[in-house]
Amino acid sequence: MASLFRSALRLRNCFGIKASSIGAKNGISRFNVPVCAKYSNVASNDEIIQPTEQIPAVRVPAEIARNKLVEYGNFVSECLPKYIQQVQITHTNELELLVDPEYIVHVLTFLKDNSLSQFTNLSDFTAVDVPTRPCRFELVYNLLSIPYNQRIRVKTYTDELTAVDSICDVHVGANWYEREIWDMFGVFFKNHPDLRRILTDYGFDGHPFRKDFPLTGYYEVRYDDETERVVREPMEMAQEFRKFDLTSPWEAFPKFRKTPELPPPPADQEEKK
Amino acid sequence: MASKISTGLVGIAVEANARHKLKLLYENLVTVVSRMPSNTSYRTYTEEFANQQLHKLDTIKDDAELESAFGTGQLEEVLLQAKSELRLARKLETWKPWEGSATQPPTGQWDWP
Repeated sequence: MASLFRSALRLRNCFGIKASSIGAKNGISRFNVPVCAKYSNVASNDEIIQPTEQIPAVRVPAEIARNKLVEYGNFVSECLPKYIQQVQITHTNELELLVDPEYIVHVLTFLKDNSLSQFTNLSDFTAVDVPTRPCRFELVYNLLSIPYNQRIRVKTYTDELTAVDSICDVHVGANWYEREIWDMFGVFFKNHPDLRRILTDYGFDGHPFRKDFPLTGYYEVRYDDETERVVREPMEMAQEFRKFDLTSPWEAFPKFRKTPELPPPPADQEEKK
Repeated sequence: MASKISTGLVGIAVEANARHKLKLLYENLVTVVSRMPSNTSYRTYTEEFANQQLHKLDTIKDDAELESAFGTGQLEEVLLQAKSELRLARKLETWKPWEGSATQPPTGQWDWP
């Protein structure tokens, strides 16, 4: 319980103070604080290893980092039990919060405003399309906490028809990310200030990043010599004898494939070997 | 009082009586949080945090030492953090995230190969 809280403080001791007090000596502090901003009586601390060009930063051992993530994950899920469905840590030591889509704004507000979290930077926001699931779109928010030098990933889900709350009020930078997801996947965001297409052309049809979007698209745009202008026509496959497979050529989720149960290999082959 | 001309951060001005404001903010935070049910984790964590910060404010007299004891930047930055924490506590009071548990996702939603 309370151990987590102390770990956040410990974490701060590992990253915050040492980094800044090292910087105060060598002039490479976290925010490049100019001389006028510094106090003259900064206590010198000789216990700290001075960074050189060979040793630019200290790397935390993987187990310690993992324990910190476990404690922080427990902290968030204890504070917001109504919102968080699951907390998990990936094999590369990344903390993931799996969140009820109804409360995504609440969770991100907590992560941003809480003093022990301070995930103020939205570094990335995308979606993943897995058509076999009942809620096929997975929304992935990657956040960065600058004071604690930590990252976190928040995930929710939605389907084609359900709208998700926009997080533009919390993170202004989410504006274009949400427009991109609306354009590429067709996920609608409620209360977005300006939800338009952002990447595709005028009059474009469909959402290109969906797995069921054909590789050729629905329309063909070409220059027509007769009318001397660019024309836009429905896609037509000219070669009638060929069989076109319009699904994506890349097998995106091989582990979702259901392999047919093959009969066991005949015994005589093994005997030959 | 140490002489400080600038914080060196764009948009954050030097605060003359940061200690006084910080103390007010953390005391406010404690009162807001004390209205929550006593068994909620957010209340216990935040009370512990705010009381620690108040204790540091009372005991440490030197500004530079106080900043390194807080460990999250200059006092002006800590002030902003305390403001946002207070804002969050007021929001959580109405949201009540401690009531009930999370709805479960459709089966197989979080399964990943």
